[in-house]
Amino acid sequence: MLTSVQEFLTQSAEESIALGERMAAQFTPPKLILLRGDLGAGKTTLTKGIALGFDAAEADEVTSPTFTLVHEYRGPQVTIYHLDLYRIDTERELATLGLEEMCADNAIVLIEWGEKFPRLLRECDAEIIIERTGEDSRKFVLRAR
Amino acid sequence: MSSSSINLAPIILGIESSCDETAAAVVRGGEEILASVVLSQFATHQPFGGVVPELASREHLRALVPVVRRALEEAGQNYASLDAIAVTQGPGLAGALLVGVSFAKALAYAEDKPLIAVNHLEGHIHAVLLEQKQQARAAGNTTALRFPLLALVVSGGHTHLYLAHAADEAGSGGWTYQNVGHTRDDAAGEAFDKVAKLLGLGYPGGPLIDGLAAHGDDRAVKFAFAQLKHPDRNPQGARKYAAAVSSSPASQPGARTTMPPRVDFSYSGIKTAVLRHVETHAMLASIEARRKALAGIAKVTVSEVLPLCDAHTLDLIASFQRAMVEDLVRKTLTAAEACGAKMLFVTGGVAANSALRGHFNAKATALGLPVHFPSRPLSTDNAAMIAAAAYPKFLANLFAPADFSAEASLALR
Repeated sequence: MLTSVQEFLTQSAEESIALGERMAAQFTPPKLILLRGDLGAGKTTLTKGIALGFDAAEADEVTSPTFTLVHEYRGPQVTIYHLDLYRIDTERELATLGLEEMCADNAIVLIEWGEKFPRLLRECDAEIIIERTGEDSRKFVLRAR
Repeated sequence: MSSSSINLAPIILGIESSCDETAAAVVRGGEEILASVVLSQFATHQPFGGVVPELASREHLRALVPVVRRALEEAGQNYASLDAIAVTQGPGLAGALLVGVSFAKALAYAEDKPLIAVNHLEGHIHAVLLEQKQQARAAGNTTALRFPLLALVVSGGHTHLYLAHAADEAGSGGWTYQNVGHTRDDAAGEAFDKVAKLLGLGYPGGPLIDGLAAHGDDRAVKFAFAQLKHPDRNPQGARKYAAAVSSSPASQPGARTTMPPRVDFSYSGIKTAVLRHVETHAMLASIEARRKALAGIAKVTVSEVLPLCDAHTLDLIASFQRAMVEDLVRKTLTAAEACGAKMLFVTGGVAANSALRGHFNAKATALGLPVHFPSRPLSTDNAAMIAAAAYPKFLANLFAPADFSAEASLALR
C-alpha cells in the first residue's frame, strides 16, 4: 500500500524541474517509482529535475526514452534509469528490458507508462501522478510506502 | 580506388542490434552492398516467413545467427573470406547491444579477424556517404566531400546535429564529430509517431502522416515553437560543456578552438498542442471511430486510413507536418551557417519524409549548400551503414581492443 501522500503545484517547466530536484532529496536508493500522467503531462520534465538532484545529468541531457526504451544517467552515488513502456505491451517484452538487473542497490528506476503492468503497480516503492491544471501549471501527487 | 579495383577492396561484415532491428550486412570497399538483411517486428517482407514476435533485447540472441548466415549466403561470402567484422557499440539498449557485441567479439576471435566498433549515429551518417560513393562511381567521378560537414540524424530516438571533420578531404581516414545540437525532450520521429497515435492513424505513424499531409491544408492550424536559447540556462551545464569541448583532441584538422554555437530542438510541446487541439475541437469521437476501424491491422497504408479522415483532421496533419519540417530545416540551416558547414547530410528514419526532403532541397540549395539523404531503405536502422562506417576505420587501422564493451549511452566524438 502506498500510504504517504504529498501534493505539489508548479506553474512552469522550470518549477517542475526544481520540484524534481527537491523530490530527489527524499528518495534513498534503491527505489522503483512509477511516473503517471497523460501525453505531455511532464513526466520527462520531472525526470530532468530528479536526475539533476542526484547530479546524474544536466536537465538538457535528459530526453524522452519512448523509442530508446531505457536511458541511464550515472551520478557519483546513484544511477538513474528512466524507462518508457509506451511501446511495450506484453510481460514478455517487459522481461527483455532487464528491469531486475537495473534494480540494484544504488539505482533509482523511474518508469513512464508502468501502470499498464499490474506487477509494477504492486512492486513499486512510489508513484508520482502528474495532472495538467493549465497551459504550464501542473499538480503532482507523490504516493509512497 | 579505380573502378576496376573495387572487386579487390576489403569486405566487412556489419552487425547492428541497438534497438528493435536485428541486422547484418556485407559491404565491399565501404560502398558496395553485397547483402543487407534487416529483421524487424514490423517488416513487410519477413525473410523467415510467418510472424516474428517482438524483437527487443534478448530476442536478438535468437535472431542474430540466422540473420548473419543469411547475409553471408546472399553475399556469396563465408566467415573466412571476410576482411573485418564491424559492430554497433552504442548508443542503444544495453542488453540488445550486448548480444551483437558478444557475437562479433567471439566471431572475430574464432576467425582471427580485426574487429571494429561503430557508433550507431556514425552509421547513419555513413549511410549517406555510402550512396554518395556509389553514385559518383556510376558517374565516373570521385566523391566530392566537403568538410566540415554537418549531419542531422533525425529518427524516433534521435534529433542530433553533428559537425564532422575528416583527416583528409576524401574522408578516407577516421572522422571526428562535435555535437552542436540535440533535442531537449522528444525526438522528431517520436513526435510524428505520438501524434499519429493520438489521432488514431495507426502504425507506422511517420509514413502515414507523410502520405496524409498531401491531402490537407498545411496552413490551417498554427503551431508556435518556443525559441530555444543556448548556452545552457544552467551555467554549470555550460561550463561542463565547454570543458568537454576543450578536452577533445585539438590536433584534428579543421578543429574549432572556440565552443561551437548550439542549436537545440524541442518537440514535446507540439505533441501537447495537437492533443489540446483535438480536445478543444471535439475530434475525440471521430478519432475513436478511426482507431476501431483500423484495429487489428498491423501495418496501415495511406489508402486505408485516408477515407477515415475528415478535412479538419487532414488539415491538422498537414499543419503539424509543416511545422515540424520547417523547424527542423530552419534550425539545421542556422547551425550550418553558424558552424561554417560546407555540406549537409540528413539521415535517420525521419529523413525518409518527403516534405522534409523537399524543403531541405529547396532551402539548402538556395544557400548554395549541397544536401544529401540516404535512400529510404538505408534511412532506417540497418547494418550496411555499420559496415560502411567501419571502412575508414579499417583503412586507418582503428580496431577495437579485445576488452571493449557495449555502451548504452555512447557519445559520438
